[in-house]
Amino acid sequence: MTDIDDLRSKFLDLEFDRTGFVIDAEQSAKVAKASGETREAFIDPTDPNFEACAPILASLASGRRLPIDFPALGGISMDGGKAVACIKPVRPGIKLTGKTHLHDIYAKSGRSGRMIFLVSRMQLYDESGEHLATTDSRQVIRERPDK
Amino acid sequence: MTVQTISDVVFGDELTPSQPDTSLQATRSFAQAVGYSGSGRFEDHGKARAQGLPGALVPGIMGMGFLTSMIHRWAPRGKIKHIDTVFRAPVLADHEHTVTAVVTDIDDENGEVVLDLTIKNEQEETRVFGTATVQLPST
Repeated sequence: MTDIDDLRSKFLDLEFDRTGFVIDAEQSAKVAKASGETREAFIDPTDPNFEACAPILASLASGRRLPIDFPALGGISMDGGKAVACIKPVRPGIKLTGKTHLHDIYAKSGRSGRMIFLVSRMQLYDESGEHLATTDSRQVIRERPDK
Repeated sequence: MTVQTISDVVFGDELTPSQPDTSLQATRSFAQAVGYSGSGRFEDHGKARAQGLPGALVPGIMGMGFLTSMIHRWAPRGKIKHIDTVFRAPVLADHEHTVTAVVTDIDDENGEVVLDLTIKNEQEETRVFGTATVQLPST
């Protein structure tokens, strides 16, 4: 059985990926409209307050999903959820840097066995180093009984 | 029902439920825009079933979009500071789902409201749940 405390001590809070992004305004507006958004600041790129919508921020993927030396846990991996914290509006067209680390590792046990949760946190910064937003991606791995 | 300021918000209030567009056309459009298209799992029921899925899916982050859209309609001047969504089970495309939210906390001092969020299918099964913190002006 995977030692969760050992994984936490070795991997939490260590940056393992740095990726650059530029969000396209039309793409963000299309995502917002497809989700039923009606606020002009999210669906009209000509709006002076136009900003990237939460789902497009949540879609930004780091170059690596896990640290390069993270052990293979086996089992079935699923997308367990996403979170977005909006600190400042993210304007499309600007250069963003996403810095990613493992924010949390924990396990839950149920009737069908144990599930391991890996929470990757990406912090998004603009070119001046201002922190604009944070996204969390929750990966769930259903552990194999023999692990 | 909409709210304009923090004083308009009542503990326990339920936002007006909505039935989002989960059609294949909508999921396809969303998947293309976020770069999820190609595998068919969000675009084609047959291709999704061939991958062992019960049918084409609504992308998880599209569900987040349904929820943020509902919050923006409820609070036209509100700003979502944080939203956390847990993908408990697949949301199937072309099936009716209902998006709901309820006010579970009000912080008058900081002008913040906490909402509990859910997306349920036709069988009233929760597929997505989560929370959001929304900031509202005082005047």
